Parts: sequence; C-alpha cells; structure tokens
Amino acid sequence: MANRIKYIFLFFSLLIATSLTAQEQFPRKWNTEKIKGTRQIPYPAYSGFPFLNDKFAMGEIEFSDGKKLNNLGLRYSSYRDELIYYNSAISAQIVIDKISLKSFSFTEENGVKRFFRRQYYDGFLPGERFFEVLSDGELSLLVYRKVVLQTCPPYNDNGGILKNMSYQLAYNYYIYNSKKGYELIRINKSSLLSKFDKPTQKVVKKLLRKNNISVTDESSFVRAWNLIKENEIRIDF
Amino acid sequence: MERKIITILLLFAVFTVKAQDKGLNLFTDRDLYVSGETLLVKVFTPAEEQSGIVNIDLINHNGKKITGVILEINNHQADGFISLPDSLSSGFYLLSTSTRTDKMITYKELYISNRFSGLPESNSDMKPSGIAPLVDLSIQNLVVEGIEKQYKTRQKGHVILQLPSDLISQIDGGLSVSIAGTNPGFNTLQFSQKSENVVIQSNVKEGIVIEGTITDLKTAKPFKNAVVYLSIPDSIPGFQYFVTAEDGRFSFQIEKYYGKIPVVIQCFAKEKSNLLKITLDDRNNLKIALPLFEPRTFTPEFRKSVEKTTDAITFRKIFNQQEITVQPAPIIKRDAYPYYGNPTKTIDPHLFIDLPNFNEISKELLPGVKFRNYNRVPTLQVFNAAQQFYFENQPLILLDGIPIRDLNVIKDMGTKDIAKVEIVQNERFYDDLIFPGVIAIYTSKADYTRVPESNDLIKLNLEVIQPHAILNSPLQLRLSDPDLRQVLLWNPSLKPAPKIELDFQTSDIKSSYKLIVHGKTSDGSTFYKEQIFEVN
Repeated sequence: MANRIKYIFLFFSLLIATSLTAQEQFPRKWNTEKIKGTRQIPYPAYSGFPFLNDKFAMGEIEFSDGKKLNNLGLRYSSYRDELIYYNSAISAQIVIDKISLKSFSFTEENGVKRFFRRQYYDGFLPGERFFEVLSDGELSLLVYRKVVLQTCPPYNDNGGILKNMSYQLAYNYYIYNSKKGYELIRINKSSLLSKFDKPTQKVVKKLLRKNNISVTDESSFVRAWNLIKENEIRIDF
Repeated sequence: MERKIITILLLFAVFTVKAQDKGLNLFTDRDLYVSGETLLVKVFTPAEEQSGIVNIDLINHNGKKITGVILEINNHQADGFISLPDSLSSGFYLLSTSTRTDKMITYKELYISNRFSGLPESNSDMKPSGIAPLVDLSIQNLVVEGIEKQYKTRQKGHVILQLPSDLISQIDGGLSVSIAGTNPGFNTLQFSQKSENVVIQSNVKEGIVIEGTITDLKTAKPFKNAVVYLSIPDSIPGFQYFVTAEDGRFSFQIEKYYGKIPVVIQCFAKEKSNLLKITLDDRNNLKIALPLFEPRTFTPEFRKSVEKTTDAITFRKIFNQQEITVQPAPIIKRDAYPYYGNPTKTIDPHLFIDLPNFNEISKELLPGVKFRNYNRVPTLQVFNAAQQFYFENQPLILLDGIPIRDLNVIKDMGTKDIAKVEIVQNERFYDDLIFPGVIAIYTSKADYTRVPESNDLIKLNLEVIQPHAILNSPLQLRLSDPDLRQVLLWNPSLKPAPKIELDFQTSDIKSSYKLIVHGKTSDGSTFYKEQIFEVN
C-alpha cells in the first residue's frame, strides 16, 4: 500500500514539475524600457569630490512612465546634478537623460538607502533637479546635494601642479509642498522651531527632549522632523 | 487511508485541469451574415488571462485565415468588429478567438452568404460537425421587461433589465446587450479546441508581438548576433532593437498603438558583414485542428431570410449607410523626446537658398557635419561637441525615423526634399547600442519611400489594436432614406446595475429580432437571457 502511495505521489510531483517547467521554458526579455543617455566625460581634476557616492552603488531607476529597472550600478554626480550608470555590456559610464527619469534610489555600502526624485525647481536657476527625499509626505523635506567648483586658496595637486579651484559642498535643504512650492531651511534647531508658533514650540522642544534628540546635523534634523510628523504637530508653511 | 489520499489527489488533478481549460467566450451580433457586412463581436476572457490582447480571426473551412483583428482586453472583456470582405464565397466559416497565453482557441461557426451569388444552387453547404458545443447557462433571475411581442417598423422600444444584487456581485466585467435580426431555427454553435501553436507563457500586456528569424542569405542558417531594428516612423519615432541568439529568432512587442501603423524592420550583422535575410512568422498560417464538415441542406425559410438580408445590405451599400463609427484612437503619451536624444541643433533648409544635394546642404547649413563623396563612396561624420573632435565612425542616420546605413539613399536629397535636419553632437547610448552622433532627416513628403526594401529591410503596414467602434443610431439617417439596419442595439460593455434601461428603434426590415444579454460570472461561466420579438 505504502509503495502505491509513493508512486502516486511521485507521479503527481512529476506532473507538477513538468507543468512548472512548461511555463518557464520561454523566458523572453520583452522589450523593457531602455536607458537613454550620453557618455560621461571625466570632470576636471581638482581637490574635493564631485560625486555623492564614491563607488557605483546598486540601485533602481524609475522612468517617467512609471516603469522601473533595478540592479543597476548608479552614481550621483553632485557637481552636474546627473545620474550615471555603469553599463557592463559595453563597459561605459553613461549619464542617463534626466528628462527620462522620475526617480532613482540606491543603497550605499553601509546599507543606507537613498531616494532621489526629479522635480522642477522654480527658484533661482530654475530647472529640473534631482532632490534627495529625506522625508516624504504632504510636506516633504528635500535636499539638493549640490557640489560647486569654486576658487580657493592656491594649492599643489598630486602631480605638483598649482591650482586654485576645488569642489565644495553647497547643499540646500528645502521644505516642499506641491501647492506652495519650495522654502529654504537651515539644518539647525532654531530654524526648525521657527516653523511653529510659540505655544507649539514648547511642545516640540518637550518632544525632542523626551526623545533625546538634539538637532545638530542632517540626520538628527530628519529624526526630529519625522518625530514631529508622527506626533501630528502642524508645521507652519 | 489510501483511498482518501487517492481521492484528494484526483480531485486536485480534476480542479487543475478544469482551471487550465477555462477558455475564452465569443459572441457575435448574429449567426448569419452577407459579404460586405460588419460583424460585431464580444469576447469574455478568463480572469487569469495574462495577455492584454485577443486575436479574432475569420477562417474558412480549409483553415485559411480570411481576415482578423486584434482587440484590447479591458476588465476581462473585449469587443470589436470585422468588416467582411465583399468577395467572400457563400459558406460556413469559423470565427476564432485566441490569445498568446491561452492554450484553448474558441470558435464560433457563422454562415456568410455572398452578396452577389447568394446561396449555392445545390441548396446545401458544408457545416462543421461532431463538435462538443460550449453551452451557456440560461439565467432566470435576470428579468427583461418592456419588450413587446410585436413592433411596427420604425417604432421606438424601451427595455428594462432587472438584475438582483446577488447576480450583480457574481458578474465579472460588464454585460453585453444586443438586439439583432435572427432566423428562428438557425443557430450556430460555439466550441473550443486546444491550440496547436506554441503557447508563450509571457506577459503581452499591451500590444502585439512581431516575431521572426534572421538567416544568413548564403547558408540559409539562423544567424547569431544579428542586430534587428524595429522603427515606427512618427513625429517622435518609435524604436526597438533585438540581438539574435543561436536560433536567429527575434521578437518585438508593439505597445499601445491603434489602427494601422507603418513599421520597418531591418537587420545587420553585429561583427561580420554577412548578407542577412529577415523572415517574419506568418500569422496567417494558423496551425489549427479543424472539425469535420458535413453537408447541410437549407430550409426554404433560411433561403428567404438570406435573400431578404442580401437585399437590405445591397440597399445599404447604395445609400452608403455605415453600420458603425470607428472612434478616434486614444491619445497615448509616449516618449517626450526622440530615442536618439534631444537635438543639439535643428536646421530647416527651406529657410536658406535652395541647395541641390546633401553634400551642399551639409557644407553650407549643417554645423559639425562632414559629408564627403570621394570616389563616389559617401562618408559622414559628426563633430563630438563634448570632446571637440569628429567621431571616427558613421553616426546614426535616420530618414523619417528609420535608421539607414547606405548613404547613397540621402546623397541626392536637396532642399526641396528635406523638411528639417536634427543633429545630435554627442555620443548617444540606447541601452547597449552606441551612436557616434545622430543625423535625423525628416523629409518633406514624410512617406519614407526613399528607404528601399530588401532582404534585410521589410516595410509593413501593420494592423495593430483595433480602435473602439460604436453602432450608428437611426438619427444619423436622412428621413427620406430607408432604415435597413439589421442590428438595432449593440452595447457590449454595460456596467451591471440593479436596473438598466435601454432604448432602441426598429428599422424598416420586417423580420424576427432577438434581444440577448450575455455576461460572465467570476467563476468563469457565461450566462445569457434572450427574448424574441417580431417586426411587421
């Protein structure tokens, strides 16, 4: 009896396996969205770093039509505000057309996931920009991770050549609402508190104190921001 | 214990087979047609159907495809129309419905009488036999009110469909309601058979698939590493590419295009300079197992009905009365810019003096474009603006969006032939393709006749997804014109509601008419409710 059951089980296992194989025997890569771009031209060599991430980090891009591609080696150029990906098939670093992208994200070596969104900036030097989304929602906290090439005190580079330019961080933080637009914000406690009326400021201070958050840098500012949002405290904007 | 296990396994097997066999359901406005008429069709697809489109083909008794359409599946259903060719000979035909992912093909038999020759003199024809028909469930709790037994010609009618709430909750998709002329005693069957074509387990969500094989022209063997381009000429041209493997096969999916579109497929060897040939898969060569056909004699009533219908259709043709109006294709937001990138410069040669050929145009008007014709061998180079040198390789040259490799095609083009030239002075990347600059020429005629067809370049006028169509109402007729409509009402996608009210008007044709409501429940079974009335 036991043998018969074994054979029946074996028969059905084979049947299931065959049907599963039959479904997988046509692995077709349908015409997925293609990445369009231009070759990345090396930037002038000065002190400082023009990129946000040192190495290519694995990430995902979302095209304007909502289609996504993942497992791409991505690198964000803070200097040019452009996304570069490495195409291993043709061994080329390609600047992806900004207009073709809606957003992208990548995970850094330390495991931190960074998410960027393309948005139109209507302030000084208007245009399409990639903003890193630090906190999203009806009211978003964004950062434009800009690096600028500026003059600096003269220095000798590794080759002994005298130079007077360097890449310098020029990050701008914004509060953003789709209706009201952008408002520049500084990353410190007083700037955060200025977004509340007097009575609410006391509540916010108490909340931050209770949660041991001292707003000194970007990460503590983001933690404080998220805590305020979680406690549904209205931000004046 | 053993019996229990066997019973459970058998039940599992039965349900698995049943689930796999849930096929498509096909309904038409009528069973009898005259050549030159429009056939209206409605398809219900299983909820688990992966494909986004369904093929409807009209097949003769030899299995040859006469005509066909591609319909878009929305909410597990699709509807459309087929214009029956005037030249169809009288006989029984099969209307088949299939998808790329479904193993079953559903057929419906139809009789089509030739408008000029009528029924055969033998008074009989070959009819499919020995088939196991698909049976719809006649539903009782759907109430049809307001239909009278008899109507006069050009009389207005009002129908009320009452649907109980439990039925509404069971319905998957919409309801199809039609009122059309019928021949009592003549009913055709619907049946399904397993497809002999290869069933592809892939998602073809929103478009049709073009497949084929690239072979070496000398050896006739499949060619590996051939680059196949598919281009769709347009103001912003469509473009796809495929690199063949050992089997030389390629496939493209054309998404969300409606009506008839021009498509150009071309190929070239990636590394070598072999002469290649493109062979597209013949979709007209359907591998189907047809049922047996046996002679069937027509009744005098049937013959009379065919004659009456033929007269009506002839007069409709004389008065140029169209049965349906094809709606404009939906506007699909495609790429915001061409696949070759935004141009660095755009030149309109018409704004300058007339120049006789492309050599002159490039010299006088196109900055960073070097076109030479030494020893009658034309070459073209584009300036790389980012790195300040000329690209060594030939750029991507497009003529109305179609990539061309032979510069002789453009060398004689003068100012009169060219509407605009777009220049991209960058090294462009499209996935794994590299374009050392781009020259996109848009011709004044925009008819891409300059692109020559060859073994490695095929031009197609492709019927893609059929746009939506609606039945013309009698209000569109002039008062003095006869109303010769066979179909009084065709509403293939009604949203289920407790009470549905519909209006119709009878035509000048005195005949029997059938109101029929079709629907599908979430378990995959179809139901119907019908009511017959006379117009005299």
